[in-house]
Amino acid sequence: MNRKRTLMPDAFRTKKRRFGADNLIGNPEHGDVQEGPPDVKATLQYLMTLFPRKLFNDSLPQIVLKHQLYSLHSDKTLVDKQVNELRDQGELLMFQLGFDSDTFALVFSVDYRAKVLAGEAGRATLGTVEKFLDKVLPCCSDLSFSKDKMLKQFLFTDAEITQLVKSGVLTVRDAGSWWLSIPNSGRFTKYFIQGRKAVLGMVKKSKYNEILKTDLEERRTTSHVKLHMKYHVHDIIGAELVECIQTTSGTLLRFVDT
Amino acid sequence: MLSFLIARQTGVDEPVRLRRAESTRRVLSLELNHDRDVECIHGNGINTIDIEVIEGRYMLSGGSDGVIVIYDLENNSKKPHYTCKAVCTVGRSSRYVHKFSVETVQWYPHDTGMFVSSSFDKTMKVWDTETLKPAEVFQFEGNVYCHHMSPIARKHGLIAVGTKDPKVQLCDLKSGSRIHILQGHRGEVLSVKWSPRYEHILATASTDSRVRVWDVRRASGSLFTLDQHNGDKSKASSESVNTAHDGRVNGLCFTDDGLYLLTAGTDDRMRLWNSATGENTLVNYGKVVNESRKGVKFTVSRGCSPEFVFVPCGSSVAMYGLHTGELVTMLRGHYNNVDCCEFHPDYQELYSGGKDCNILAWVPVLRHPDTEDEGAAFAFEWLLK
Repeated sequence: MNRKRTLMPDAFRTKKRRFGADNLIGNPEHGDVQEGPPDVKATLQYLMTLFPRKLFNDSLPQIVLKHQLYSLHSDKTLVDKQVNELRDQGELLMFQLGFDSDTFALVFSVDYRAKVLAGEAGRATLGTVEKFLDKVLPCCSDLSFSKDKMLKQFLFTDAEITQLVKSGVLTVRDAGSWWLSIPNSGRFTKYFIQGRKAVLGMVKKSKYNEILKTDLEERRTTSHVKLHMKYHVHDIIGAELVECIQTTSGTLLRFVDT
Repeated sequence: MLSFLIARQTGVDEPVRLRRAESTRRVLSLELNHDRDVECIHGNGINTIDIEVIEGRYMLSGGSDGVIVIYDLENNSKKPHYTCKAVCTVGRSSRYVHKFSVETVQWYPHDTGMFVSSSFDKTMKVWDTETLKPAEVFQFEGNVYCHHMSPIARKHGLIAVGTKDPKVQLCDLKSGSRIHILQGHRGEVLSVKWSPRYEHILATASTDSRVRVWDVRRASGSLFTLDQHNGDKSKASSESVNTAHDGRVNGLCFTDDGLYLLTAGTDDRMRLWNSATGENTLVNYGKVVNESRKGVKFTVSRGCSPEFVFVPCGSSVAMYGLHTGELVTMLRGHYNNVDCCEFHPDYQELYSGGKDCNILAWVPVLRHPDTEDEGAAFAFEWLLK
C-alpha cells in the first residue's frame, strides 16, 4: 500500500474525509481546521468567551490576539482579509500592545466604547474621551496618531491630548505620536506575558519537549497562569511557538527551538 | 486525466491547460527518489546551484571550499537508476580557483560557453567553460554576496553585484567597465535580481531592511522602496516605517512572469509584492524560519497553476502555495542546513544543496496503480469472463 499519501490538485482529487480524534467539523471548540470559507466573526466571539472578565473586575473589554485566529483557521491570508474587512466596517478595533511589533490585539468596538466610558464616568476627562471616541474612531482605523493629525485634522488642543493620554486611550509612541490603546491594559499585558512563558515552560519541561494538546489543557495551572489555559494554547499555536502535529491520539504540540 | 486529454483533442480546452494541470500534479508529488542521485564532489557545504536555461541539461554548483562543479543532468544510460555525473570541476588544484567560499554562480543566459562566479575572496570571475580559465576578473573592496545577469537582456550585458559596500555595482560584460553604481542603500547588499519581464528593472535587498527597485537607465535614485505596511505609517513603530522587513532582507525572487516579487527576511517572514507598484499583497505565509547571515536562495515553480515557492527552512525545504500562503509540504532529506534550491522547469524537478555537501534531487512520483486498483482490475476481468 502506498503509505505516503500524495497531495493531489483539485482537478484530480476525489474528496476523502480524514477521520481523526478531533474531527468535529464546524465546531470551533474542537475543530482545528474548518472546511469552507472561515467565519472569522464567529471564531472571534468564541475566543472572546475565553477571556477572563472577572480577573480585571470587569474594567477591561474582551481582548483577543490576531494570531490566535490562525490556530483555528488554516488559511492565514483569508483570515487577515476578513479581519481587515471588519475593521473597515467599524466593528473591530486593532491595537498594538507594545511588546512585539507583530502582535496585534482585537476588540469589538461596541465593547471598547462601553468599557472606556464606564471607566471614565465621573472623571474630568470624560468629555474629551467621548469627543475622541465619537470623532476619531468611526472614521479613522489607524493604530497610531501623529501630533500633526491630531491638531490639524481632528482639531484637538494640546491640553485635550494630555487628557487623552492621562485617561489611557492614547499611549506615547515617540516624540509627537501616540498609539491607540486600551485603558488599564497594562495588567493584561503583564499576565499575558507571564502566562505565555509559564505555558511554554510546561511544554519545554515535558519529555521530548512535546505534549498532547488535550493533556496540556487539563494540566493544573500554577499561580503564574492567570488567564484561561485554552487562551494561552491558542496563542502559542497561532504564534508558531510550538509545532502542531496530528497523531492518532490527537494534536501534539512540540516546542520549536529558535 | 483522460478528460483533459479528450478536451484537448476536441478543442474544448486550450492545450496549455493539460500541461499546467499535469505540471501541478507532478510538483505536488515531489519526493526523494532512490533512483536519482547527484555525484558528491564538494568537500564542504554547497552555497549555490544554477541550471542553464537553454537546454536544462547542465547544472553549476558553487561550494564553501571555493570549488565549482558542472554536472550533466541528462540520463543517457537506459537504466532508471542514474547518478548525475560531474562533467568538469574547478577544484582546489586549479590555478584560478577562488580562495574562499563561492557565494553565487550563474550561467551566461544565452549559451553555456561562459559562466560567472562571485566569492568571498572579493572577486567575481567570468569563466570560459571550455578551458575553465577566467576570461575576466573583477576585483571589489568587500565580500561579494551575490551577483545576477539579466536572463532576457539584449541591449545590455550588465552584471549587478551586491557586496559589503552599500553601493550596488553594475559591471559591463561587453566593455569590462564598472563605473555604473546605484546609490541608496545604507547597509550591505545581500541579494540582487533582475526582472525577467523588463531588462532594465533591478531589485536589490539589503541589511538596512529595505528593498529597492531600480531602473538602470535612470540617473537619479531608485524607482521605489518596498514598504511592508503599504504606506500606512500608523501601523509600525517609527523605526520600521518604509521597510520591507523588520530585520535584514536576505532573499529575493521574481516569479517567472515578472509580475510578482518575493522577499524573505530575518524577521522570519516572507512577503509577496506586486512588482509594478511595489504594493504588499499581504499574503501571509506564517513563520518562514530564516537565520542566514548571507543571502537565502529560494525559487518559484514555473508552468504550474497555482505556482509554488520552495524556501530552504533549516534542514528541509518548505513548499508554499504562492498566492494562498498555505504550507503545502516540507521536503525533508538533508542532514544539515539547506542553503539553496533550484527548480528544473522542463521535468518539474527540484535540486537542493546544503551544508551536508549533498545535492538532492526531488523527483515527481510516477503514477503507480494502487493495490486496490489492481484488485478492482482483476475483479473486472473475472466478471468479463
